[in-house]
Amino acid sequence: MTASSRGGRAVSALLKGSPSICSQCARLPPLQQRLYSAATAAASDASPIQAPISGGDLQTPDLTTPPVMHYPQHAPSQYSIKSGLILTRPPLLTRTLHPFETAFFLYQKRLEERLSAPFRKGFYFRHDTPAELDWRIKVRERHGVAGRDIGRYNPRGRMGWNDEVLVGSPLGASEEAVKERILTDAEMRVSEDGEEIPKEDRIKVERPAPRRTESDEKNDVRKLDRALDRTLYLVVRKGEAGWQFPSGDVLTSENLHETAARILAESAGVNMNTWIVGRVPVAHVVTKPVFKQDNPAQIEKKGEKVFFLKGRIMAGQADLTDNKHGLTDFKWLTREELQDVLPRGYYSQARLMMAER
Amino acid sequence: MASTFSLRAPLQRLFQTPASIRSILTPPSPFATTTPAPRLAAAPFSTSPAPSARNPQRGGKNRSKQPQTDPKIISMKKHLSLLSPRHIPPPLRMARNRHLRHWTVHRAWQLFRRGQREARDRELMRMHQGMYLACEELRQTEGPGTREEGYLYRVAMEKKGVYGHNGVPIEYARMQTETPAREAWNHGWKRTSAP
Repeated sequence: MTASSRGGRAVSALLKGSPSICSQCARLPPLQQRLYSAATAAASDASPIQAPISGGDLQTPDLTTPPVMHYPQHAPSQYSIKSGLILTRPPLLTRTLHPFETAFFLYQKRLEERLSAPFRKGFYFRHDTPAELDWRIKVRERHGVAGRDIGRYNPRGRMGWNDEVLVGSPLGASEEAVKERILTDAEMRVSEDGEEIPKEDRIKVERPAPRRTESDEKNDVRKLDRALDRTLYLVVRKGEAGWQFPSGDVLTSENLHETAARILAESAGVNMNTWIVGRVPVAHVVTKPVFKQDNPAQIEKKGEKVFFLKGRIMAGQADLTDNKHGLTDFKWLTREELQDVLPRGYYSQARLMMAER
Repeated sequence: MASTFSLRAPLQRLFQTPASIRSILTPPSPFATTTPAPRLAAAPFSTSPAPSARNPQRGGKNRSKQPQTDPKIISMKKHLSLLSPRHIPPPLRMARNRHLRHWTVHRAWQLFRRGQREARDRELMRMHQGMYLACEELRQTEGPGTREEGYLYRVAMEKKGVYGHNGVPIEYARMQTETPAREAWNHGWKRTSAP
């Protein structure tokens, strides 16, 4: 801004001399008043961008009464500001493969088998050692195929051309079979002396933990080791208000992220290793103020703006004992389960920040 | 012998005469003592250690005829000889119908990947839209208390402490795995100091 225009504003403010509005508002022509700012943006609430929330009952923009309000800049606010935290547990496991992916990978492996040099046992195993004898037994069981994941296929044989797996074959159906094969192959079948070990005497390898845990089986929604390949979201129950994300009023000396951290500690305890991702709100829910029937200028009930920040939990568990917000219960839910629990408009706003998985 | 000479003769005419033959053909020079041969011997061209350097007496041919004694190297040579182009299978050749099936599979895979990519793009756009709308609402918000409009927005846009050292906790760097840990989640974690 140049000095001259600053001066012009000061002079116009002096000349106008109206105490009710600020100098900048007074300077501009009334019709095209700050098209880029508050009043206009509020009027465009029903724009297609906000289409997903139009079904909501909490903050649905009321189309019949466009909320264009020419209130002065410093009018008492009609909204109370709240800050909340959507605390998420990121997925701990990789996703399961799509059946098409599994089938395609098998197809590619067999083509690769056709293109590569044959496996040379002598390069990896010295002749007549236990390891070689062990390998020999296992390969015989696989009908001479070196790979564990391609089924019975020999690219150099008479049927080398027949590399496609037919529809309905159990081979490409799941990754589980390959994992099982690797685990059974990891057992040593031959003793140090080169003698075959009977099945009951073989040393079992330790199996990895299952992808579905005990909490999954019990469907324990308060545990965090549930739905390990999905994101879990913390929701709390607040009296008759029902389920919601932990949130609370922003104090006059606070900012959004400070409030969010405070609310979380006050409501769900400090024994959670959490991290608030940035300071930018990721979702918001607005409840319109209710005006008096006889006098629309007076507010019967203040509106509410809740801004949600995103948090991540790395360890620990929520604990509602002695919480200061009247919370009675908590749950860790996936996105689909949230849909059943949260109010519709509330959910559709929070849905914007939720990842696919 | 005669045939090799008849081949070599035009080559010698085309290119420079080899040094060995030249030394035989040309008579010894009276200024032979001034040749730089002794200096070359003092500063050898090769810097490789003596055992691995080529023996000039035996020459390359004799050396390759030496029998390899290390069984490991014999075995490796034998097996790696399979990687020579003579043993690698030729590129895939497919008949008409087989190739059409392959093409279909390829197109299906490309379509699948595209679907995934677009779903991801849509997801990112949705998340960005959520942040954008929240920020826009925040920008039009007065307060808290007597703060002017947009105060909370300005603070939210600050990047103080967001990046840099300790910006992201190290626990957050955990990779996704195929199977969970033996204890999938540490429910008993306790904060050691007050936050």
